[in-house]
Amino acid sequence: MTDLAIQLSGVSKKYRYFTLDKIDLELPRGQIMGLIGANGAGKSTTIRILMGLVHQDSGEARVLGHRMPAEQVAAKWDIGFASEDMRLYDSMTLAWHMNFIRSIYSGWDAAHAQLLLKRFGLRADQTIKGLSHGQRVKSALLLVLARKPKLLVLDEPTTGLDPVARHEILRELTDVMADEGRSILFSSHNTQDVEQISDRITFIDRGRIIDSMDKEAYLDRWRRLRLEVPSGIDLPALPGIIGVQQRGRLAVATANAFVPDLANAYERTGARVQHIEHMTLEEIFVANVEHSREEVKA
Amino acid sequence: MNRSIIGQLVLKDWRLNRVLISLTLAIGLVALLVTQFGGLARLIGIVWFFVALCILGSMLPGSVILNERKKQTLAFIMSLPVTSVQYSIAKMLSIWGLFLVPWLTLLISALVLIETRHVVPQGAVPMVLILAMLPLIGFCLISSTTLVGESEGWLVAASIVVNSSYWLGWFLLARIPSLSANWNRPAAVWNSTEIIVLCSELGAIAFIVAVTLFLQSRKRDFI
Repeated sequence: MTDLAIQLSGVSKKYRYFTLDKIDLELPRGQIMGLIGANGAGKSTTIRILMGLVHQDSGEARVLGHRMPAEQVAAKWDIGFASEDMRLYDSMTLAWHMNFIRSIYSGWDAAHAQLLLKRFGLRADQTIKGLSHGQRVKSALLLVLARKPKLLVLDEPTTGLDPVARHEILRELTDVMADEGRSILFSSHNTQDVEQISDRITFIDRGRIIDSMDKEAYLDRWRRLRLEVPSGIDLPALPGIIGVQQRGRLAVATANAFVPDLANAYERTGARVQHIEHMTLEEIFVANVEHSREEVKA
Repeated sequence: MNRSIIGQLVLKDWRLNRVLISLTLAIGLVALLVTQFGGLARLIGIVWFFVALCILGSMLPGSVILNERKKQTLAFIMSLPVTSVQYSIAKMLSIWGLFLVPWLTLLISALVLIETRHVVPQGAVPMVLILAMLPLIGFCLISSTTLVGESEGWLVAASIVVNSSYWLGWFLLARIPSLSANWNRPAAVWNSTEIIVLCSELGAIAFIVAVTLFLQSRKRDFI
């Protein structure tokens, strides 16, 4: 058994106006990966390839050790999938959906389903059309979680939810990880949600993976240096600095591979380092995307 | 294991469309009862009977196949352990079952009425079967086009072509002398022409199903 829940190697998919370009991605078992990208970046296409719903033009996709799409049936027994644009049957009740899923998956845990009903404040006898957006998302998640899949693939599950519903869902996802063998791939353009629960972070932009690594290491690597630059001094281009914005005597340098020596290097040129700040994941995401797009242009 | 999932998918479609089927059955049975009154009512009943089947044949593909895409429930179903071909098989089984229940019920009712109440001479039985096969072929064409085309445009186009072609099919069949010659006989007699036409109709259905499954198996993107 491989210790990777997800493995994409050189996966490409070409559409008329969009290309997913040689994606390499690995998610070790027992971890949560946040897949962050702007709208149209390629998150959903990547996830559809992982689910066998879209066939890649080239490259290899493996999920829980199964080749996709050829072995999708074997893989999907152990994958729980929910996406923002996935709907349940409007005219049927949640109980009907629960029975439907139970009739397919022998691992359906009825006690856990009842627990989730209570936690999410849902009523099994209510039809789906009578539910709010948040309740529908929770219902879809209940149907996935109660069968205890080894891998959860969630495509923007928190989009359009109020803060309370988002918190409830993120807490449930965190609880899932109490079982160490389980993994989650969680796509979103909401960096706050991803930062809250992910172990690993992957940025995708315009069909290319622009970064993928451990969250803590990632957040630690990115810093913002606020500098005071006396007139007549030109700031040098330093390795690990991806951009400098200067207005008069004040400059802000963004580092994507911060080491304390960077501050010393600026000090040696005559500049004064006022602050070294950590960046939020959203700030890192924006800086990373802009830097990546400039690199592509160059 | 997967055979049971296909079964569950079929049952799911049956439950979701039970109202449409019940309604068609009720309308079709009323139409058959109307034929009992004789004269003009008989003609109205027969037309009503075929119209009920034709309308069902056009509505079912929209309700069973397209609604899954339009209402975005397809991703939910495709997250289950099935391939696109298995999904297509399930769809064809469910939609065929949904159509065959009222089709067979109405056809058997019609045959029983011919046999017991003599609404038309019994010699017309082969022709009734041959004519009743046309809505089945039409339904097969509409549902397969919808399944492969995946859009309302294809459904509407197929429905228009099929529904406007029935008269031509019936007209051409009625013009075959060896078919029309038996209509007024007191007992049902099958001649070689009738058997060939019936077998050709069944062959056409088998061909359409095979082409549909072949095209579905070649699809690379399902959602």
